[in-house]
Amino acid sequence: MQPGCTVWFTGLPCSGKTTVADLVAEELKRRNLRVERLDGDIVRQSLTRDLGFSKEDRDKNIERVTFVAKLLSRNGVAVLVSFVSPYREARDNARRETTNFVEVFVAAPVAVCEQRDVKGMYKKARAGEIKDFTGVDDPYEEPLHPEVLLKVDKTGPEECRDTVIRKLEELGYVPALSTVADQMASLEEDEVYSQEEEEKIQRRLEDLGYL
Amino acid sequence: MPHTGRKVLVIGLDCATPQLIFDRWVDDLPHFKAILEQSVYGELESTIPPITVPAWTSMVSSKSPGVLGFYGFRNRKNYSYDEMYFATSQAVKEDRVWDILSRAGKKSVLVGVPQTYPPKPLNGSMISGFLAPDTNCQYTYPQELKREIEDVVGEYILDVKKFRTEDKDDLIKQIYDMTENRFRVVNHLLVNKEWDFFMFVDMGIDRIHHGLWKYFDEQHRKYEPNSPYKSVLKEYYQYVDSLVGRIVSKVDERTVIFIVSDHGAQRMDGGICINEWLMREGYLRLKNPPREVFPLSHDNIDWPHTKAWGSGGYYGRLFLNVKNREPQGVIEPQDYEKFRDHLITKLEAIEDENGENINTRVFKPQDIYPQVKNVAPDLIIYFGNLSWRSVGSVGFGDIHTFENDTGPDDANHSQYGIFVMKNSGLPRGKVSHLHLMDLAPTILRIFNLPVPEDMEGKSII
Repeated sequence: MQPGCTVWFTGLPCSGKTTVADLVAEELKRRNLRVERLDGDIVRQSLTRDLGFSKEDRDKNIERVTFVAKLLSRNGVAVLVSFVSPYREARDNARRETTNFVEVFVAAPVAVCEQRDVKGMYKKARAGEIKDFTGVDDPYEEPLHPEVLLKVDKTGPEECRDTVIRKLEELGYVPALSTVADQMASLEEDEVYSQEEEEKIQRRLEDLGYL
Repeated sequence: MPHTGRKVLVIGLDCATPQLIFDRWVDDLPHFKAILEQSVYGELESTIPPITVPAWTSMVSSKSPGVLGFYGFRNRKNYSYDEMYFATSQAVKEDRVWDILSRAGKKSVLVGVPQTYPPKPLNGSMISGFLAPDTNCQYTYPQELKREIEDVVGEYILDVKKFRTEDKDDLIKQIYDMTENRFRVVNHLLVNKEWDFFMFVDMGIDRIHHGLWKYFDEQHRKYEPNSPYKSVLKEYYQYVDSLVGRIVSKVDERTVIFIVSDHGAQRMDGGICINEWLMREGYLRLKNPPREVFPLSHDNIDWPHTKAWGSGGYYGRLFLNVKNREPQGVIEPQDYEKFRDHLITKLEAIEDENGENINTRVFKPQDIYPQVKNVAPDLIIYFGNLSWRSVGSVGFGDIHTFENDTGPDDANHSQYGIFVMKNSGLPRGKVSHLHLMDLAPTILRIFNLPVPEDMEGKSII
């Protein structure tokens, strides 16, 4: 059975967490692994829609997400979490609570994120229309020892995806593609037919219309 | 309530078709008619694809083809272009119902269940299915059983010997001989072996559908009115009816009897030449396009200019040439999904020779199975919702063919087979929404055994 893991993407708003996590999810699915995504924008519309952005609410938000990730990861799911999650203490708590925690720091200077500003949030924060916005008037505590550091202002999303996947393979949380190939090669050991018999079966199945 | 001390008999009739047994011919099948009146019965949804392999194994393991890791008789061994293997009993890594029953101390007898060759030990006896090369092989467990049944019937008939023949009289005789031989062995084992679970599968109905469907179905493109073979199918069903009736009359009320098929049948309208279509659409290029009809040779494919290739059978299998996956892959991994979606749209638009859409259905293995083990086709295709077969050969110069590349064939498979359950204690009558993966959990419940959580079907008891 696949070991579960919790891959935690943290970084400033608009740094590219969702993009990279989605790409990693796609690749893991392609390898037939069980994957679940917990993304800030989506979770805040359901599980934590009662919460705002005060320090207390942010902690509660991460606490609930940690709980869900804990349940999934201990049951063999690769959980990909993408939240700003600005506070070190909350992330460290997630590391303690969940199975095979991998912290991925999606690092980009504020200026780069602000330039992207896909939802126009930085603009609103600068104009004072929203308060407690991470990177503008709320702190972001950078991870001290993340398992993966992605400098997204210098590397493209595909390369970031590959970096994360390689780390997961290295940690043994995701089988390497070569392992998948080895598993398939073991099928070859099951020699049931001689070559002559194999040809005979092939012809018979063709005649019967199966092939 | 499940009863202890009960026994189970499964009568497997490969390809038995609900429209014929439950409706069209029911009044001419007296034993079936009487059994249906005392049974729970209905259409039984098959696997995707609805083919002998993997369907029977899905039925007795309650695992979908993706979890079993095989998608037909012949499967890709890896991502090379040419290495294939047959899904024999060695390929079955999941428990089948008799494995569980053996561990629980119950005795099983199996006859002709697909994917049981080479035979593996069990608490009981087995005669393996038709993937045994011939009767010179060790096709029974235990070994001595081979001698015992050969003493009863002479040569045991694994399958019809020569199916591709225009000599219909000979084909009909071969099918009757096989069925007579199989039921004789079954009748012998039913009384001479101790068993809690008995299951046998006869292939005769499947073979006769494929060989002679066109003579009775007025809708068939090649229907021949007033053919001497017009009643052959019905008469054969009547023959099977009498054999089944004899067996059912022999077992007591304590035995729950199932009569099941792995899929049904429907007329075949023609073949879609999958590789001709791929060439026409620019996805497949050959080094030397053949001037006459030839099987597709992987050596003749210009791989750097090929995105996809396909194979034939009752359903189509399409494989993509993906970079870093296939040796000379060309599709960028990040374009894989987009390309699959694009192909699905185009495949679903395929028309018949008159420009009418044929209602093709296309499946991504990842969408239909909880897991996709080993190497699945990238797409599974039901041309014309299985009223057209997939033809893998090239050289037709057209995407439609009405002559099968390997010989004549009248019928294709359909998604629903039959389910009949007698002596279960459930109120009799017709039921719906049955899936063949429900069979194994239902059998375990009858024996009052726990149903493993990873079985995908559910007990109907």
